Amino acid sequence: MKKLFFYLLLPAALSAHLNIAVSYPYIGALTKAVGGDHVTTVVLAKGNWDPHFVVPRPSLIAKMRRADALIMNGGQLEIGWLPPLIRRGNNPKVNPSAPTFLNLAQGIELINKPSEVDRANGDIHPAGNPHFHLDPNNIPLLAKRIADFLASIDAEHKSIYENNLADFTLKWGKNLERWAQVMAPKKGMKVVQFHDNLAYFNKAYGLQNIATIEPLPGIPPSPRHTLEVIELIRAEHPCCILHDVYHSTKTAEYIRDKTGIKIVLMPHDLGALESVDTLGALFDHLTEAVTHD
Amino acid sequence: MMKKTLIAIPLFCTLLFADAATILPVEKRTFEQSKFIPDISLILDASYVTRNKKDDEIAHYEIPGVAHGIMGAHAHDGHSHATYNAANGFNLNYGELVLSSSVDPYFTLDGTFHFSENGVEIEEAYFTSTSLPYGLRLRGGKLLSNFGRINSQHHHYWDFGDMPLIYQAFLGDHGINEKGVQLQWVAPTETYLMFGGEVLQGENEMMFGTGSIADPTATDPDAAPLAEAADAPALFVAYVKTAVDIGETTVMPGISYARGTSRLDHFEDEEPHAYAGMSSLYGFDLTVKHYFDSYSFLTWQSEWMMRDMKGTQYAQLDANTTASASLRKEQSGYYTQLVYAYNMNWRAGVRYDSIYKNDITKNGTALEMENSFERYSAMVEYHPSEFSRFRLQYNHNTALFNEDGERQSIDTFMLQANIAIGAHAAHDF
Repeated sequence: MKKLFFYLLLPAALSAHLNIAVSYPYIGALTKAVGGDHVTTVVLAKGNWDPHFVVPRPSLIAKMRRADALIMNGGQLEIGWLPPLIRRGNNPKVNPSAPTFLNLAQGIELINKPSEVDRANGDIHPAGNPHFHLDPNNIPLLAKRIADFLASIDAEHKSIYENNLADFTLKWGKNLERWAQVMAPKKGMKVVQFHDNLAYFNKAYGLQNIATIEPLPGIPPSPRHTLEVIELIRAEHPCCILHDVYHSTKTAEYIRDKTGIKIVLMPHDLGALESVDTLGALFDHLTEAVTHD
Repeated sequence: MMKKTLIAIPLFCTLLFADAATILPVEKRTFEQSKFIPDISLILDASYVTRNKKDDEIAHYEIPGVAHGIMGAHAHDGHSHATYNAANGFNLNYGELVLSSSVDPYFTLDGTFHFSENGVEIEEAYFTSTSLPYGLRLRGGKLLSNFGRINSQHHHYWDFGDMPLIYQAFLGDHGINEKGVQLQWVAPTETYLMFGGEVLQGENEMMFGTGSIADPTATDPDAAPLAEAADAPALFVAYVKTAVDIGETTVMPGISYARGTSRLDHFEDEEPHAYAGMSSLYGFDLTVKHYFDSYSFLTWQSEWMMRDMKGTQYAQLDANTTASASLRKEQSGYYTQLVYAYNMNWRAGVRYDSIYKNDITKNGTALEMENSFERYSAMVEYHPSEFSRFRLQYNHNTALFNEDGERQSIDTFMLQANIAIGAHAAHDF
């Protein structure tokens, strides 16, 4: 009702949407939740792609060209694909130095920051693990940063963004309680991953990642390392392999055949699996996948 | 005694630095500028080559009427040039040093330097605007033209270890790499649509040039040159590029046009000659790229080029005589290649090169010219990681002729290593 009232009162000003480009679908969902009717979000990456290797197709340049603002994950997750799009978009509004640019990683304390920055250790992220949105406790913090950002570039609708944020945070708080309850019995459970992209999820719920199938970040599985993982699984009995949707599960299947370990497909973003179409659904799926026997 | 010293040194150091730190915290060291160091990367390109022809033979081979000296090392303008993978055996093609950073809120600066055994070349050094409105971008300095598809890409980004034949034959190994300015405009449309224009000096070794051509037989140093110097800048380039997505497939066509003066002075060569005139280069490129997932794709990439050179050819017949003739060259060719990336580690590809049109008219009379030049290539690549690549390539080349006008069949195996360190920028699509 309130919204309708607004529309009637300010028809011309309201039709002027902010056209916001965002790197990943989860940022799009957050921006939509906070921005409501005042923003149009354009998501650059697809949820079923490897977030490190998004294809910088020219159609994305056209999207950058027309954006009023850009929100990215940061923490070097986009280092391999976003800079060329920024360079070729020819749009000063999406430059990292512009007030219409938001780097979400700057508001989050990153974990797993490597003590030694050397590519001999694989394709590491010097600033720390950038997959922080997979801790559901970080979601309200990210929503707040986006609300503050929207208010800073569109002061006229500040109160609306604040109200949307309050609504969202309240609802999310209930979700957090529910997921905490569901996950509580799994504290201390050992898991194996392909790449440590669930580091924040695991930390939030006390799951313990004992091995990754790739020997080092960004280095594809090697036979020797696979044998080591098999040995480790036999010794430590982790519950399962939490596998992302974009790497081939071939090596994981081989390990399963040798050890009998379960493979659980874990979506990392909206659209990673067809059923995962909202932020709530993402964490519903993750928590269910881990607790379902 | 020794033991005491060993303990004392680290202790002393700790005290020293602890003390220094309390006196002068890092953030207050006013001359500290290390945070402003630009992104730096170094790319090594080396290869091992086996050919069925000797190096000194191959340097004399030519594509009749189109190009000479495009394979092997050769001397020109008093310094020696080496094309990539020039010699049988080991080659150090270059160490490419790249520096890149923002200058201020309005510009970035990029420098690419090729260190080779012949010295250092400024491959590119340009500023780029970052804050122009209306989708405009200005670049200036020395730059690789955006003509066609492959011209603006650095050697280490190509899918094969050597340049397509049309580029090598029409423009030389560096393509259109010039001093000048470039202005590009991205249209505010749903579909990617980019228009670009460049004003360049025009000093290409194979096709363009501005310098006057002196008569080598003239005894009077004040004698009029055979061809006056052209007004510089002398090369103008324009192009339109677009891209359409159809599901996971991107179709990317582009058309390009370049026009400039030609002043090619080869009087120092083994067959003394020169050329002065106007030249146009037309290009059409089409890339179709289909992604199966984040790491696996199939790319079909093709470029067609036609050059039209109109002018005067000069030949030095003997020590006292220079002859001239009006000359028009209309030459076309294309390459088409298919590359399949199986996963992050493995890629394979095939390429076909052809120059199929070689129409040369001298003083109004069409010359009988060979007009079929072909090359077949195949490669397989192994990428241990994103930052290293090893490529085995095979070429079967029937495009080159020896000094007696006999067609040569050249088989080449190349094992190429391409290794990068540092903060290497991401590549365009």
